[in-house]
Amino acid sequence: MYPLFEFPTIGGGMIIALIATFHILPCHLATGGFWMAYFLERRGHADKNQELLDYIKHFALMILIFCFVLGSITGVGIWFASTIISPRAISGLIHTYVWGWATEWVFFIIEIVAIYTYYYTFGKVAPKTHMRIGLIYAWAAWISMVIITGILAFMMTPGKWLETGGFFDGFFNPTYWPQLFYRTMMMLAISGMFAAVMAGFMKDGKTQNYVVKTAGRWGLAGMVLGALFAVWYYFKLPATAHEILASIPYAAMMFKVSLVIGAVMAIYFALLIFGQTPLAHPVVAIPMVFVLFVGIGGGESVREFSRRPYLMPGYMYSNQIIAHDFEVKGIKSEVARFQKDGFLQSNYFVPADWRNINEKNYLKAGMLLTKANCVICHTMEADGRSSLPRLIERIGITAAADLAAYLKTIGDDYPYMPAFAGNDVERRAAAAYMVSIVPNNEAEPPTPAWVLNGDE
Amino acid sequence: MDINSALQALRDPLGVPFFPWVFQLLMVLTFALHILFVNLVVGGLALAVYEHFKGGDFNLRLSKALAQVSTVNLSVAIVLGVAPLLFVQVIYDPFWYASNSLSAWWAMAFLLVIALGFLATYVFYLKRKKSPQGYGLFGVSGLVFVLCAGIIISALSVQALVPQKWLEWYSANGGLATTGTSLYHFEIGRFSHFIVPAFINIGIFMMLYAWYFRPRADADAAYLDWVGRSGAKMAKIAAMIQVVVGFWWLLTVPADLHFMRNPFLWIGASLGLLLLVGLMKAESAPDRYAIPMALLSFVAILGMGTAREALRMAYLGVFDYSIYTYPLNIDWGSTALFLVTFVMGLVVIAYPMTVAFKLGRGTLTES
Repeated sequence: MYPLFEFPTIGGGMIIALIATFHILPCHLATGGFWMAYFLERRGHADKNQELLDYIKHFALMILIFCFVLGSITGVGIWFASTIISPRAISGLIHTYVWGWATEWVFFIIEIVAIYTYYYTFGKVAPKTHMRIGLIYAWAAWISMVIITGILAFMMTPGKWLETGGFFDGFFNPTYWPQLFYRTMMMLAISGMFAAVMAGFMKDGKTQNYVVKTAGRWGLAGMVLGALFAVWYYFKLPATAHEILASIPYAAMMFKVSLVIGAVMAIYFALLIFGQTPLAHPVVAIPMVFVLFVGIGGGESVREFSRRPYLMPGYMYSNQIIAHDFEVKGIKSEVARFQKDGFLQSNYFVPADWRNINEKNYLKAGMLLTKANCVICHTMEADGRSSLPRLIERIGITAAADLAAYLKTIGDDYPYMPAFAGNDVERRAAAAYMVSIVPNNEAEPPTPAWVLNGDE
Repeated sequence: MDINSALQALRDPLGVPFFPWVFQLLMVLTFALHILFVNLVVGGLALAVYEHFKGGDFNLRLSKALAQVSTVNLSVAIVLGVAPLLFVQVIYDPFWYASNSLSAWWAMAFLLVIALGFLATYVFYLKRKKSPQGYGLFGVSGLVFVLCAGIIISALSVQALVPQKWLEWYSANGGLATTGTSLYHFEIGRFSHFIVPAFINIGIFMMLYAWYFRPRADADAAYLDWVGRSGAKMAKIAAMIQVVVGFWWLLTVPADLHFMRNPFLWIGASLGLLLLVGLMKAESAPDRYAIPMALLSFVAILGMGTAREALRMAYLGVFDYSIYTYPLNIDWGSTALFLVTFVMGLVVIAYPMTVAFKLGRGTLTES
């Protein structure tokens, strides 16, 4: 285990989620926008419509700035956030999929060369040459999605990888195809939305009407087909994911939010098709981007929730501890090892005088153990998001002995949380620390003798 | 548990999917490309700002060109940076993750300052059309943000080389430093050795600029002469300073690593000196020397990058860490996927690059 990093109040997991949700808009736009640009540019040249061509040039510049500044920074941002919050998980993914990411990177290089060339040669080279460059970008960007979707879907349903450990067995997993088609449709919808926003800045007239209608068509097609693929995707989810959606209110709510917003967006795009060009005015269109953003965020958080308590299902828990034996790679369960040999004895990043729990250090050691096991999802502050002390209060297990007994049941009897990774003394020390941070805890504080010897 | 065995235990149990030396090679190569573009951004922005405030016809023209190219170079630098960042996490994962976890806020701040630097650079470039003398402060802030990013990433990399200090940092004051607010270790000599070449490379870039635009029908010979000559002169002076900085940094490297005896150091240094000799001559005919100097500079960057990798191996060898003993779980299929894609990618980008190259130079012939 690496040194722990605690993101106060909000929690580290939420930071990754926020960056990731924001990243979805630019990244889907980067992959879909140029199919739209290509389509419109062809039309612009065929009709010799300079206004349309000017629009596309502006459209390309905005993609360039929005996607290649905010998109690439937030993309790397997800990676950096994972690095500091969950290093072993990102390491596990990288050691499995480094060549996948490296392949995606080749397409990033193609994208960046193509998009700058596209923008700076606009109107200066033959239309055919120019459109060809646009098409190179569009293909490269979509292929980057083809690749990253494999890794994203793997994190949800690793498929045969758990048996073989093979790259492609994990890549082409049960949710890969539905997710790829769903994301491809979403990229068209997001491109439609972006085209509408940009059209809002055009002067009124035939060209604007044409662009708005096209944006509406792409948007509606994306939403409707996306919904169909989402249903397919839903049925491919493992049973545990369906249980989580049914039993955790927050996940269920996010699921509903994304459904409602999907419907709202479809209606909005339909209105654009039926000539409601004023709805592309920035005053309406920009808030609609926000609505879309919330909808996607809802859908993505459902995805995040569904793989609880794992980061790499069947292999690594969300707290970065290896949950089970992984025979094909010769890896043994760390949970089992830490429960037997002790977490503090098995890890380097433990202050020397905390390694052996005694009367003086048990609360400090308990703090380390609590954080190592829990901080990925729970904050330690009473007023924090998904607060651990408030959770203990809510379930009403505020006495250390009861809590220690409860900690023994998670993982097996309560499958949404990882099993506690530590031996018996460590579990009691963690329980002692946990009850000590519950505000105004009326339960009797545990004695050091209980922590060290126990009487469970 | 001592640090040596801790480092072994921290390695990812999944192992590496191909021979570690391949990742090492790719890491050094892609880092060389990345740092070249970082150099062009830092040098380009610094010079764009300087010429902007200095004023004058030639100066403003050059400033505008450099500001524009800096936006492109920054995007390219970011994308190129992804690859070495990926490969370092494959073979040096214990070091990279420990260093970043300990200074977590700084790792996040790194991205924030890049985003701010990027936006500032874009404003500096796009808005100057309306007000050529205004918006200089955006250029200055763009430069400052980019330099801050450099300081942070350099510190994170240096922290990764001193594993013996990690636990001390983590458990300072009898507690557990889980806040990630401190940046612990920074070497000014090493950082300078990355930054001074910015002026060598932007100087060579200016020589290339003069060479590139020369054939255009509307080329302004006096302006191009000025740009090429100033570039060659700047590159030469910066290369001299770099020699001094190099030795200064070398003196601060712990003697027990015996780095002075490392052949890669002397290969890298010789390439640097060779570049300096070339640049001494280049001032007389910048156009003619542009391409050879650009190539030589890249080779020198590669040589320095290799020397730095040798230094890292010396640092980590003290802890018995060697990437060559990383557990292997070879995956031929995905390795082939990357290699084939990589070659294909180079072929594909040749087309847009050729179109852009010929168009800018005024040599594009098409219907």
